[in-house]
Amino acid sequence: MAAPVVRGVRKLLKLVDFTPVPRRHRYKKKWATTEPEFPASRLALQNFDMTYSVQFGDLWPSIRVSLLSEQKYSALVNNFDAWDNVSAKLEHLGAKDFVKEAISPQELEPESDLSPPPSLNYSPNLRCFTFPRGDISRFPPARLGSLGLMDYYLMDAASLLPVLALGLQPGDTVLDLCAAPGGKTLALLQTGCCRNLAANDLSTSRTGRLQKVLHSYVPQDIREGNQVRVTSWDGRRWGELEGDTYDRVLVDVPCTTDRHSLHEEENNIFQRSRKKERQMLPMLQVQLLAAGLLATKPGGHVVYSTCSLSHLQNEYVVQGAIELLANQYSVKVQVEDLSHFRKLFMDTFSFFPSCQVGELVIPNLMANFGPMYFCKMHRLP
Amino acid sequence: MSPSLFCKLTTVCSGESLQESSCVRPKKYVLDPEYSTQLVPCLHGEQRTRVEPKSSELEKVISSLQDMGFDEAHVNSLLSMQPTVHPQQLLDIISEFLLLGLHPEPVFMAMKKSPQLLKLSTVQMKKRSSYLRKLGLGEGKLKSLLHGCPEVFTMRQRDIESVVKVLKEKCLFTVQQITELLHRCPAVFQEDPSKLEYKFQYAYFRMGIKQRDIVRSDFLQYSVTKIKQRHMYLERLGRYQTPDKKGQTQIPNPLLKDILRVSEDEFLARTACSSAEEFEVFKKLLEREEEESESHVSEEEEEDEEEEEL
Repeated sequence: MAAPVVRGVRKLLKLVDFTPVPRRHRYKKKWATTEPEFPASRLALQNFDMTYSVQFGDLWPSIRVSLLSEQKYSALVNNFDAWDNVSAKLEHLGAKDFVKEAISPQELEPESDLSPPPSLNYSPNLRCFTFPRGDISRFPPARLGSLGLMDYYLMDAASLLPVLALGLQPGDTVLDLCAAPGGKTLALLQTGCCRNLAANDLSTSRTGRLQKVLHSYVPQDIREGNQVRVTSWDGRRWGELEGDTYDRVLVDVPCTTDRHSLHEEENNIFQRSRKKERQMLPMLQVQLLAAGLLATKPGGHVVYSTCSLSHLQNEYVVQGAIELLANQYSVKVQVEDLSHFRKLFMDTFSFFPSCQVGELVIPNLMANFGPMYFCKMHRLP
Repeated sequence: MSPSLFCKLTTVCSGESLQESSCVRPKKYVLDPEYSTQLVPCLHGEQRTRVEPKSSELEKVISSLQDMGFDEAHVNSLLSMQPTVHPQQLLDIISEFLLLGLHPEPVFMAMKKSPQLLKLSTVQMKKRSSYLRKLGLGEGKLKSLLHGCPEVFTMRQRDIESVVKVLKEKCLFTVQQITELLHRCPAVFQEDPSKLEYKFQYAYFRMGIKQRDIVRSDFLQYSVTKIKQRHMYLERLGRYQTPDKKGQTQIPNPLLKDILRVSEDEFLARTACSSAEEFEVFKKLLEREEEESESHVSEEEEEDEEEEEL
């Protein structure tokens, strides 16, 4: 019975870095010129423990255990291929369309007072299925539907909220400034509202992935016409490139991708070699958001989003960009209150109660989605 | 005592003096061999039990048992537990147990719980007792061992030895620690040695607990599942840290008793400070993680084997 034990030991030892090393090879601090590398994911966790325990207090342990455990996925139905069959199939599995569930009670019981506040304009035609709270079932991998396109797209349900909040309306011109790998871009197209969609990402390899997603999910005529344009330019230049152009702009910026950084070593932004880059992130994010705001038509709307829990990448960036636009460009931007929107989705997601601006979905074992921060802004006419 | 003597006794009784009887009559009852089935009145005279006196040896055994302090019901129960066992052997083995210093009642309970004890020979019994004494489990401890884990006496010698070997050679417990361990958690004797070793390594490497605390907290008696669930939950919550090479942690770890010994409700309320529903989800996720890493590792091993063959 030696094999299972040895295997077990190897695993355990790997976990705690106790792999026996010959004495002559052991790291000798006084002679070493570089420190031994902790895995970047461990550095990320250390960083989060330091900042988020302060930022979230008693909430941090439950967020932490959720980040370190398997995340929950949802299935975004592809409207371009037999969506009613797909919806039926997903319901049969025991999942429910959380968008429909959130929206319909609202419509069935109209409030006696005046029309709902503008922020309750959610983008239409989005169908997205999740398993109930506490249910850890997984969706089967997506398959080709009857029209030769994939039937659904697996994504974190929280990623749909920025797109819902943007409130697309039919005929809108839309810009997705940091579009790759393409989940939110696909969702924008699913609304059926995009007269034109411009999808951009600085990284050509990531735009490649975006193209693949579009190829698998979106019909050829939509992809190849003037309707969708994919570019790999520097997002910060959009103010000069296409100022005052778009009805709706989504700025889903590069961030510390908190959940991802705890599990993946490759290209992890917490590697010591990327420290400078990580520290410059908030500045980059402000520049991107500012560019997105400048590219918006006066009277248009912008949603800023990240998948990080950090105040420095979230509220501070929103406030910084608004200030920048006011001071340097004399452009007035107003934050829109999303609390009504948040209430709609309270049963599906766990929201942080104390954001100064915007909303933050926090991971919880009962609903292990997120992190996802989003804030809606109105560029005043 | 032979039946003929008894006959003499009873005939003498009918009127003549008893001084001629030379046999010793058991104080508690009278055997009347004239009847094929006999009623044996007990001390209080309330219960009547039937005894089939197939031989005088059986009578002797019964009387000895009663001398030792077993009441009628227990005697009959004992005799019917293992019909294949010779009454004399039964008596011998029970005597051995009484020699350990136990009273009849606990011995009876142990036999009832594990009737296979009655099948032991006195030789086996003596050998096992002496082996256990060598392990440091002296008289008082043997008693609690019999009570807590009677299988310790019936197990195969090599199974016990493999457990002790793992504890000594792989886990590096001292002799005193092994004694204490076996005394406190006799169920450890019955564990699969490699599973025992895994549990120890989990405590030592993964949780940073040393031998002394492993013994004092009765760590080895808990199931691996329970240990992993509670430990990993605390670890991912940020409430437990594996000590570094110097044995230090940045946060004070909760006491082992507050992790393993407490009920789940108390664990959640006081140690984890978390809700039952979250813990339930976590347990399910952990189970799936374990299943998937098992199959992943065996895939790796298959690949390794294939490589070796090439």
